[in-house]
Amino acid sequence: MSDPILSLKNVHTHIEQHHILQGVSFDINPGGATILLGRNGAGKSTTLKTVMGLLPASNGSILFKGRGINKKKPYEIARMGMGFVPEDKAILATLTVEENFRLSMLNENEKSHENLEEVLDLFPALKKFWKTQAGLLSGGQKQMLAIARVLVCDHSLLLIDEPSKGLAPIVVEQLGESLIKIKDKTKVILVEQNFNLARQVGLDCFILDDGHVVYQGLMEELAKDKALMKNYLGI
Amino acid sequence: MTQTPTLVEKDRMDERAKRFKSPTFNLQLAVIFILAVAPFIIPSFTFMDVMAKIMIFAVVVASFDLLLGYTGILNFAHGMFFGVGAYSVALILYYSKSPGWHHILLAAVISLVISIVLSLVISFFSLRVKAIFFAMLTLALAEFAHILAVQWTSLTGGEDGISFVLPGIFNFSWSGPTFFGTQMNGRLMVYYLILVCAVFLFAGLVRFVRSPLGRVLKSIRENEQRTVALGFKTFGYQIYAIVFSAAISSLSGILFAMWICYVNPDSVFHTAIMVNILLMVLIGGMGTLYGAMIGAAFLIVTETWLPSILKAGASFAPDVAIIQNLSDRWQLYFGILFVLVVMFFPKGVIGTIRAMLGQKK
Repeated sequence: MSDPILSLKNVHTHIEQHHILQGVSFDINPGGATILLGRNGAGKSTTLKTVMGLLPASNGSILFKGRGINKKKPYEIARMGMGFVPEDKAILATLTVEENFRLSMLNENEKSHENLEEVLDLFPALKKFWKTQAGLLSGGQKQMLAIARVLVCDHSLLLIDEPSKGLAPIVVEQLGESLIKIKDKTKVILVEQNFNLARQVGLDCFILDDGHVVYQGLMEELAKDKALMKNYLGI
Repeated sequence: MTQTPTLVEKDRMDERAKRFKSPTFNLQLAVIFILAVAPFIIPSFTFMDVMAKIMIFAVVVASFDLLLGYTGILNFAHGMFFGVGAYSVALILYYSKSPGWHHILLAAVISLVISIVLSLVISFFSLRVKAIFFAMLTLALAEFAHILAVQWTSLTGGEDGISFVLPGIFNFSWSGPTFFGTQMNGRLMVYYLILVCAVFLFAGLVRFVRSPLGRVLKSIRENEQRTVALGFKTFGYQIYAIVFSAAISSLSGILFAMWICYVNPDSVFHTAIMVNILLMVLIGGMGTLYGAMIGAAFLIVTETWLPSILKAGASFAPDVAIIQNLSDRWQLYFGILFVLVVMFFPKGVIGTIRAMLGQKK
């Protein structure tokens, strides 16, 4: 079995006086998509932000590709090959679609230009709005851009936080198709409240509750366990 | 086999093809042409003085816009760098027995070194604090520079300041041949030096904001945390911006001192200069760069001609005391004009025009 791409051991995170993550531990293997599930306030987004270095872990260890990243700055973690798509359609609204993409390339070169072509094949709608200010795009297009943007870099791990939030069902469907294609190329950790989308995209999952991992297993097994679903996801 | 160009390459090719054909480029050429022929068409000192100051302040304001409009940094010490440049050339020329070209170059080098070192110190010590504290710290530093210039009388001449003479063809007593009925003189030569330097400095700023670095700065202004998460060490980019804008501001200070051949603490270090720069950015439009020209022109033209216009207006009603009294208070009318500009151009003149054009598209 291959080494985990990301490994969290007893990670604790505080936001001001609140103890949000209370000893989160899991290993994420390369390939495919892993889903982080849980109710609102369970600590899913906090987990992603802690991994990305945007929130400091007060205790525990985080290994990315076998290297400790606890003390690293977010830009260092990004340069190690981790991409992050926050939950709030994290585009740069006053920049054009083109500028959003070119900014994400970090170092523009032939490879990143080729990546861009591939990404635009995946999200063709964005090509039409190439010179448009990103803030003027629709909600779905903004989310597409937020995800597409991080794909131009050759990241080995993508953290995507609730991409379907606030999107129309038809857009969520398109998003699901894109995520399936993405996870075939890059390892994805997806935080998602929409269980159908999560099931469509992910093979395995973790459930967080009150800052702890309370379940780890396959999505299909989880879908069959109605009691667990009711207990931790309220479905 | 020929490869199909990628979207970015196609964009670059389009940009190159359109670069010298765009209406904006033609407008820029027209502005430079007008500035170049203006002294021949209207050979008045006041007019030339206004034009020269607009050019100088357009550069200073654009360099401040690079910080405030593009990076979101409110640096009140920006005006101080203008003073550093002005005092560098003034002191070197004043204390040199026979001023030469090399003294001006030396002043440029010294002012650049001082500005770069000072801006680095400011960046390292205060950029890590919250924006409001950074603004306060830089304001305090600017005030300190003003006090230093006032108190260090033996070097700076204190509040009286120092006047100096320029070397060679820039010396105001120099006169040369006549062109199109206008006698070439030192003042005119300095005017053209300002024009050439302003064009180069402004072009440098435009190049800076259009570079990949400029994109990162815009991204920092919009959301620093997102920019960091994309892989950028934002602190380093903010330092670039502060140092570059400080260098441009100090070079503009040299041009200003050369134009008036006199400096005192109030003319180059006073907080009022910084306030004017801020007003110019707001009037022209933050994050537009070209708005700096509009803002500088608006403020300098108003300051120069509004009092005379009011006096002329008041002369039609010599017996009405209130009109006579109000005609002396041109700042009141300037305030009203400023409010009107802010009301009708909430994003500044250029910013609002761009927004309107964007909506039409």
